[in-house]
Amino acid sequence: MKYTPFWGCMISIKYPQFEASVRKTVDKLGIELVDVEGFTCCPDPIYYQAKDKIEWLTIAGRNIAVAEEVGHDVITCCSGCTSTLSEANHILKENTELREKVNQRLKKVGREFKGTIRVRHIVTAIRDDIGIDKVAETVTRPLKGLRVGIHYGCHLLKPSAIMQVDDPDHPAILADLVRATGAEPVEHKLRLLCCGKACMSDDIPDRMVIDLIESIEAEKADCMGLICPTCFDEFDLGQIVLNRKYQKGFQLPVIYYFQLLGLAQGLEPKELGLHFHKIKAGRVTEKVAAA
Amino acid sequence: MSGKLLGGAASERENLRVTSTVKQVEPRQAEISFDFREKLDATLEGFRHNYCYQCGACVADCPAARYAPEYNPRLILLQALLGFEEELIGENSIIWLCTNCYNCYERCPQDVRPVEIIIALKNLSVERGTNPEEITKISDSVLKVGSTTFITPLVDRRRKELGLPSLKEIPVEELREILED
Repeated sequence: MKYTPFWGCMISIKYPQFEASVRKTVDKLGIELVDVEGFTCCPDPIYYQAKDKIEWLTIAGRNIAVAEEVGHDVITCCSGCTSTLSEANHILKENTELREKVNQRLKKVGREFKGTIRVRHIVTAIRDDIGIDKVAETVTRPLKGLRVGIHYGCHLLKPSAIMQVDDPDHPAILADLVRATGAEPVEHKLRLLCCGKACMSDDIPDRMVIDLIESIEAEKADCMGLICPTCFDEFDLGQIVLNRKYQKGFQLPVIYYFQLLGLAQGLEPKELGLHFHKIKAGRVTEKVAAA
Repeated sequence: MSGKLLGGAASERENLRVTSTVKQVEPRQAEISFDFREKLDATLEGFRHNYCYQCGACVADCPAARYAPEYNPRLILLQALLGFEEELIGENSIIWLCTNCYNCYERCPQDVRPVEIIIALKNLSVERGTNPEEITKISDSVLKVGSTTFITPLVDRRRKELGLPSLKEIPVEELREILED
């Protein structure tokens, strides 16, 4: 199965360990990544969309048009890119007036949004096109006994009418994928709470993250498992900041799904860049080694 | 404003009370602006606010409302319906506390998509120049280098260590060209 990966800024620049973990795990699922030249920032669904929604649509439309020229469906590895590109793809396919407006602008650089491909988060594509059973088949070192506190984040699932991934109130996709690695998904009280990143306040996102970490710790999870680099930023670097700002002692490792899958496929923590995380993943790697 | 929490272990979190960056505006006689209402109607997705019948379904599941009781998406919609320009797109507007979580979009029985109204209001705020600095900073970065984050030597080192291909050039000139009218 061939896909064009859209890595986005956060993953390719800030957290390349996530790109590495995807590249090193998905070939075993029968996925071929066809990289494409010419992408820019998706652009981000919070700041750029707040600036000017039409410009946001235009830049997103251009990125999709670049992928359409090659012809494979796009997979995103960041929930922010998913939000922008899936929503823009939906709007530009449905709304002919806006499509014409965007295409007028793309014409200047010899491009056109045609609406010929799909854009999905990679976990959605894996569940729907490959199958969760196939993920389990690639596991050579089941993460037995590892308790993973699931964090869904907002933009994988919502707006559900556009994303069409799962029931946003009772999602199962990440728990199913975690279970496929042999680990135990832990569905804590605040598993659907937003990470708060977009909220422009000094204290509200802090309080959300504190509550979220405590919600996962209350279930005695070994780590947090997620699929979005922006949420990761809030929780990994975030715990360091909160520990200083509020004299907390948080040490909950935050692991990107494909790093978990990589460990389960027998890859070493270093190959998956776990040593780049601010909160060290010792708790996780020791348990994996002992399993 | 103090970040008053609803329920939970309030005493334990007492030390978390920090002043929000969004200041509460002094009560004053609000002015109705018809120009503003027309402008919002003409903004992408902005017209939908007219379908709001003030049921409040957007409030119950709003994380910003849970953590900041002064934030209330139903009231934001009411102010939009009334045309309260200053409250919504003046300096330090409460709209910037929205977390973009889309719960209100899921809950609204009228398909108003409150988060989309808030995004439309943010666009109008940016037009007026009353937006928070971060918006300008990050969107400027996209226009300048084509990404929200900057590439440093550390990035290249990490990518190399992980066995990743070097980063592809970002066609930022083409990005700027499609935005010119």
